Amino acid sequence: MDNLNLIAQYVLSGLVIGVIYALMAVGITFIYSIMKMINWSMGEFFMIGSYLQFFLIMGLLGPGRWYLAIPLSMLAVGVLGVFLQRLLLRPMFVGTLERRDEYATIVTISLSVFFRNLAVVVFGPYQFSPPDYFRPVQLGPLPLNGSRFVAFIGSALLLALFYLGVKRTWLGRALQGAAQNRLGVQTAGIDLQRLDQIAFGIGVALAAATGALLAPILLVHPENGAIATVKGFEIIVIGGLGSITGSIIAGLLLGLVESLGTIVLSPAYRDVYGFALLIAILVLRPWGLFGERERVA
Amino acid sequence: MNSRNRSLGFGISIGLAGLLLLPFAVGSYAQHVLVVSLYYVVLASSWNLLAGYTGLFSLAHHAFAALGGYTSGMLAVHAGVPVPLGILAGVILAGAAGYGLGALTLRMRAIYLALATWAFAESLRLIIAAEYKFTRGDLGLRVPHLFGTSNPRVHYYIFLALALLTVVAIRALLHSKIGYRLRAIRDDEEAAATTGINTVRWKKFAFAVTSAMAGMAGAFYGHYIGLLSPVSIKFTEMATIIIMVIVGGLRTISGPIVGAVFVEVLSEVLRLSGEVRMVLFALLVIVLMRLYPGGLMAFVRSVARRLRRYTALREVPASWQEKEIS
Repeated sequence: MDNLNLIAQYVLSGLVIGVIYALMAVGITFIYSIMKMINWSMGEFFMIGSYLQFFLIMGLLGPGRWYLAIPLSMLAVGVLGVFLQRLLLRPMFVGTLERRDEYATIVTISLSVFFRNLAVVVFGPYQFSPPDYFRPVQLGPLPLNGSRFVAFIGSALLLALFYLGVKRTWLGRALQGAAQNRLGVQTAGIDLQRLDQIAFGIGVALAAATGALLAPILLVHPENGAIATVKGFEIIVIGGLGSITGSIIAGLLLGLVESLGTIVLSPAYRDVYGFALLIAILVLRPWGLFGERERVA
Repeated sequence: MNSRNRSLGFGISIGLAGLLLLPFAVGSYAQHVLVVSLYYVVLASSWNLLAGYTGLFSLAHHAFAALGGYTSGMLAVHAGVPVPLGILAGVILAGAAGYGLGALTLRMRAIYLALATWAFAESLRLIIAAEYKFTRGDLGLRVPHLFGTSNPRVHYYIFLALALLTVVAIRALLHSKIGYRLRAIRDDEEAAATTGINTVRWKKFAFAVTSAMAGMAGAFYGHYIGLLSPVSIKFTEMATIIIMVIVGGLRTISGPIVGAVFVEVLSEVLRLSGEVRMVLFALLVIVLMRLYPGGLMAFVRSVARRLRRYTALREVPASWQEKEIS
């Protein structure tokens, strides 16, 4: 009985962390589905989001109003994303750039190096720790830290909002169309350049939301986005690039595998299980669980 | 032998003599900087062969360097294997691991390949950090020096030889049939397969050769510094290699050499903190990618072309200007 309780606890905690991972992964896969590029600086937008959150709640708003700070951080990072997309990534689609993949990879990797080191220069290599968002709660058999609970609920809420937005609104349908056929959307008279900017903005805002939600848990420091990026990338490969449902399911799966791997095998390798899962998926289904098979023209 | 070949040979001998005498002209700290530069010349050049010429945008190159270093270091520490033998083992293991990763990622498109190789590197770092009983984890593993010395002058000559070997080998490879096959695979894999190129074999070959080169650099470097640490598999290290190649010029033979030396030496000259340096170099890369995708070498070449136009040397036959294969 005791054992069963323990397993239930681990399963539940795996699902909780899985939902949070999924939010980050959905941001990455969303940008990919529209722009067909991987944003390697996702972790840095996560980091910027967490810094904004920290300074907003410690300065302007006060620790009690963290729920106001989260949308503000998301908005600010989203605007930054739109600006950077216009400045650096637009040339991928305007003009005659060869090897777009390569361009996007190099530019976003450089952006990541830039922001990560800039954060050290501006704020120092220190860790800031915001106060917990909420008092500890009991979730069935699982005692949960308040911040983790908030991050779980917040992530689930944002995922639901995002899903509804994509499925129900005009903009969401336009974005779905762009994901399926960029040329087709243009013939329907939709400004694709604008859609790209919006998609990039929304994607990095989701990363910022993850950063803001996890700020009390992962703390606020220049490299705090690294873990979430690792998980995010693992999830999108497992779930299949460009598939939002795939990302959510793969997020939960990764959370479960890590959590159960911790009790069944060893906690030291917690972060390696995701990779093992990824390799297994890649060998069996290189296009991911829910991704589309590459069509050879 | 015509006059052009003779003058080229003369230039190379002068350059080589200069490189051989260089350590006598500068102090030991500058010698150390040169050793590090040459280490990065090997890494940047071999990554350029893999990513630039074969089109396999791997993000695990630094991991293979570390793999070579750890293999050789652990053999020396735990099994008492002589250092040169350990280095050989490191090269072979890195090459074999590269072959394996190449085989695993064969079917992947560009983006999947980048993600999978990156995940491989991250996992290797986590495993090395977790297996502290053997690797001493984040504390770092002390390993013996090659020939029992950490004198930078000795290691300068070793690394000069390694860098020359790597660059000459890559140049020869690119000018051979294999080089054409690799570039054909990069430009259009299906078309390459249609013309009878065994794309599977040559992709694995590119991975194995470049990983062995990285492993060699890493193994020698470990026995120069005398300390191995999982920090060397951090993504920053891979970013540094990419920055060097882009700054110098992707898909050129001279680009990675110029880029590695430029970035490393400039870092030392500027004497700024590591972070400020990285901010500046990242900015430089972004600006170059946006405005001058050919890198510094393309910039220098276009300036040289403009200069030539102003001097009387305009009538140079086309065959005189050595064309860079891209």
